[in-house]
Amino acid sequence: MSLRDVVVVGGSIAALTAVEMLRMEDFDGRITVLSDEDVPPYTRVPLSKGVLAGTESIDDVVLAPLAEDVDLRLKTAATGLDLRTRTVHTTAGPVSYDGLVIATGGRARRLGRPDQDERVLRSHGDCARLRDDLATASSVLIVGGGFLGMEIASTARALGKDVTVVDVAPPLDRLLGAVVGGHVRSVAAQTGVRIVVTDGGVRLLGVPRPTGVELVDGTRLEADLVVSAVGDVPNVEWLAGSGVQVHGGVVIDSSCRVAPSVVAAGDVTVTSGGDGTLSRSPHWTNAVEQARAAVRALLHGGAPYRPSQYCWTEQFGLDVKLVGDLDPQGEPAVLDGSLDQGSALLAWPDALAPRSVVALNHATPPVKLKRLLRPAAQGVPA
Amino acid sequence: MRIAADRDRCEGHGLCVDTAPEVYDLDDDAVVVLRHEVVPAALERRAEAGARVCPVAALRVEQMSVES
Repeated sequence: MSLRDVVVVGGSIAALTAVEMLRMEDFDGRITVLSDEDVPPYTRVPLSKGVLAGTESIDDVVLAPLAEDVDLRLKTAATGLDLRTRTVHTTAGPVSYDGLVIATGGRARRLGRPDQDERVLRSHGDCARLRDDLATASSVLIVGGGFLGMEIASTARALGKDVTVVDVAPPLDRLLGAVVGGHVRSVAAQTGVRIVVTDGGVRLLGVPRPTGVELVDGTRLEADLVVSAVGDVPNVEWLAGSGVQVHGGVVIDSSCRVAPSVVAAGDVTVTSGGDGTLSRSPHWTNAVEQARAAVRALLHGGAPYRPSQYCWTEQFGLDVKLVGDLDPQGEPAVLDGSLDQGSALLAWPDALAPRSVVALNHATPPVKLKRLLRPAAQGVPA
Repeated sequence: MRIAADRDRCEGHGLCVDTAPEVYDLDDDAVVVLRHEVVPAALERRAEAGARVCPVAALRVEQMSVES
């Protein structure tokens, strides 16, 4: 069967890449993109940096526009899916398809109660609000020390704010491992950021606007501005009752297939390892790779994709790129430079067969980092 | 078609090169360089695809005339 009418639900990089790939693969039928956002696709990556700092606007981060033959419908949220009749229900009425790409991404996870007006950072709207709040705040408390939380901390500190980060584990360790995570934290601390690691969760204080958190031992941390950066939640509610399998995300196989003529890509997905394991990799490059694989599966049948296993962060003047497994354990082999010198190329568990490589302020392109990985480790999900 | 590369924005992620090695390259400092002043017509689609995957929006596609 040849597809004539592909609908892509979503408006970020996975959706955009899927559209791109459809045309690259010479699909000449109709493409409709349904996005609940009010602006064309943009990159979220600078939202915690230049856009939050106010040195860049949304116009600077909009991605190259889609071709004119693509029907991009903004402010059109999907509300339901009928696999049998091949219809996506939306806030603007039903849309029929013969091929469907699910790329609805995620939204910021929240910690507080519904009556708390929590500050988060995911969309450009979140960013604009946070930027305005930041302008009038002198102290900022960030809950969550992942890439996003620490990047917000870096931006806020550079703006001269009094910054505290609280997490249940040492920030960044889960991603970069203790060696590099520790290094970034020490640089952050040198700039004046306070890092609080607490045993157990935190409770968000203040209604409607959060004013602080309470730790399990009763300690209270307070600030003019409290930001939750505690991960994301896949946007799957519109698929309820559709028959699409959802387990903390839309379950896809190794070729990004969901159901006949339905594929999915990006932060909305969890990948089934086939042996009951589910893994999630909500990073930019994974969204790109998955979108390409998804379209290939839609047009030609499935072929497993190889996750690129690449992620990065920029904060406190440090540019950190990681390929391979997250959270590398133990002491790395030093391939070049040193952390003390401020520029290093590091490999775990050893230099001969690395499963993780980190470049810190080191001008090695990711493609070269990937080549350093032990060949057998490539293609194995993190 | 021309590509405008903002070398100050570029962070060297190399997705453009992965996508369209005929159009993009990274220099020794892992900063994007363009292989063509003007993108050859046959590579325009790939050039656009490479620009679109840039996570920091450092690449802009500029149409040079009103050709369709």
